[in-house]
Amino acid sequence: MNPALRLALGGMNRVFLHCASLLVSRDQRADWRREWSAELWHMRRSCPPSELLSWKAEQTAAAFCLGAFQDAFCVWGIRRQNREIAPSQHGSAGECLFWLAGLLALSWILACVLPGVYVESHPSHYQINPGLVLLQSDLFTDSSAATITGQQFLDLKASRQRGIDGLAFYRMTKETLSPGLHANPMWTVAHASFNLFALLGGAESFVALSSETSSGLPSVVLSDELWKREFSGNPKIIGSVVRVGRMAARVLGVLPRGSWRLPGRADAWLLQPDTEISRSAVGYVVAHTTRFGQAEIYDDRLHINAFVTDDPDADLWGVSFDERTRGPWTIFRFAVFLAFLALPAITSVSLGESCFSSHRPSLARNLYRWVFLSTKIVLLLSIAYFASLDLSYWNATGYSALSEYAQLASSFFICLFGMRWILLDQRERCPVCLRRVTHPAQVGQASRTFLAWNGTELMCTSGHTLLHVPGLPTSWFGTQRWMYLDTSWKFLFAGTGVG
Amino acid sequence: MVSQMKLSHTAAMILQAIDTGCVYGFSIMEMTGLPSGTVYPAMRRLERDELISSRWERQSIADAEQRPARKYYKLTAAGRVTLEGSRKRYPLLQRMIPSEEAKSL
Repeated sequence: MNPALRLALGGMNRVFLHCASLLVSRDQRADWRREWSAELWHMRRSCPPSELLSWKAEQTAAAFCLGAFQDAFCVWGIRRQNREIAPSQHGSAGECLFWLAGLLALSWILACVLPGVYVESHPSHYQINPGLVLLQSDLFTDSSAATITGQQFLDLKASRQRGIDGLAFYRMTKETLSPGLHANPMWTVAHASFNLFALLGGAESFVALSSETSSGLPSVVLSDELWKREFSGNPKIIGSVVRVGRMAARVLGVLPRGSWRLPGRADAWLLQPDTEISRSAVGYVVAHTTRFGQAEIYDDRLHINAFVTDDPDADLWGVSFDERTRGPWTIFRFAVFLAFLALPAITSVSLGESCFSSHRPSLARNLYRWVFLSTKIVLLLSIAYFASLDLSYWNATGYSALSEYAQLASSFFICLFGMRWILLDQRERCPVCLRRVTHPAQVGQASRTFLAWNGTELMCTSGHTLLHVPGLPTSWFGTQRWMYLDTSWKFLFAGTGVG
Repeated sequence: MVSQMKLSHTAAMILQAIDTGCVYGFSIMEMTGLPSGTVYPAMRRLERDELISSRWERQSIADAEQRPARKYYKLTAAGRVTLEGSRKRYPLLQRMIPSEEAKSL
């Protein structure tokens, strides 16, 4: 036989084996192909030297290789049978973790998309200098109301206060704001002291505070929303002159969304010297406390004697800003703490591990069980964090007290009922394979409680355990118990992978 | 139960061949005269039923002899019991493929 032809026929045999191997599952394929290649090699070596180059030898080799298809079909069939009789993943630990991870991914994706969540989850955007308080008249109880007049602010600034070393005033007005002279919608403009953003801190990165007086014009800081709607997000607006009402002002910068945490919602901040402050207008006063002043803060409040000219007996309260800048993580931690405190009130915290005999799962199995429980808790807490943010800031673009309350409430309820579900789920999982026990069967009669136990029996479909849950807890059978099945039960679960 | 499993004549021949020392696929083909498309699938099923078990030859041995490593098969305890039952069922089995002891007699 022509050596080239022989080579071609040898290649054809290898193609046969390769094609047949495609029927075999990927994890078995390499082993299967290795065995057939070795067998083909030995088959060829077994040919007598006289027949080695004959057509008969090639026919024999081809017939041998064609048999590989039957073998591959057989391996494929066995594999399929095994898959059919293998216990399904329903109720397994993996399935549970898969769904929890899916929920976590969903809530995380939503959190990435929602603008309000983005702002809240970046504390660097709204951090302000420590020691700041909002001064308010003690005649008012609403912490978000403007209570101090311009005159009171100027008097306070002129007086000596040992607990305060910096003051800034702002008040809200409705004015037009536009790059030109044409009519525009009204915006909320905060007329503020020059030092407002310097006092708040953290604004240096987006506001050029040092240039505030260089041009002789008042300065204005735009909100992110106004910048985008009125100026189409044009970055060249910084440094240009715009009209705020009848006044020309130079744009200092744009405040990122969610950065403004003080009372009052403003679209722009017009920074003016104190001499321009209207004495009769009512507004807000922000104060920076000294070390002495901080020592006097009790319950987030600082008492200040105003000594103002128009009312010498008026007292002021300084309310700390900590509440407004604590961020979602602090609220979430508090909600988790509350949920764990409340958990024993709605369910038993026992894991229901008592059993009929002294048999106990191995240390590795116990460890596996605890790792599974810990993973579930970690996933639940992560879901609660992101889902509560999604719910609270679904419709909000930034901070609001309502959103904070919504986050606290949603985190609390998700953690509380989530932990309850985790404990119930854990109690109904076979200690050996962590599969949920199924096939509940009623055992006994309630009328014979004191003669024999009655309740529900559930079984592990892998044949490891039976779970007995008493219908009526008694002093001798108060909680659920596990019965570990020995090998004599094996034949009942044959074909389900017991072992 | 496994010990009461009734084998086909072909499967019994393959078990008998393995028992006589034909421990890899091609040697079983030679001993029984069955084609590869019959022998290998039958061995897969016997292995699935835990009547035979397989192991790969050490690569160093194959390298020393300058050939590819082979997969060897041997009877399990259950396979031996089943083979005993099959010999009673197929009396000619041992005559067709005599065991090493029978050959020495």
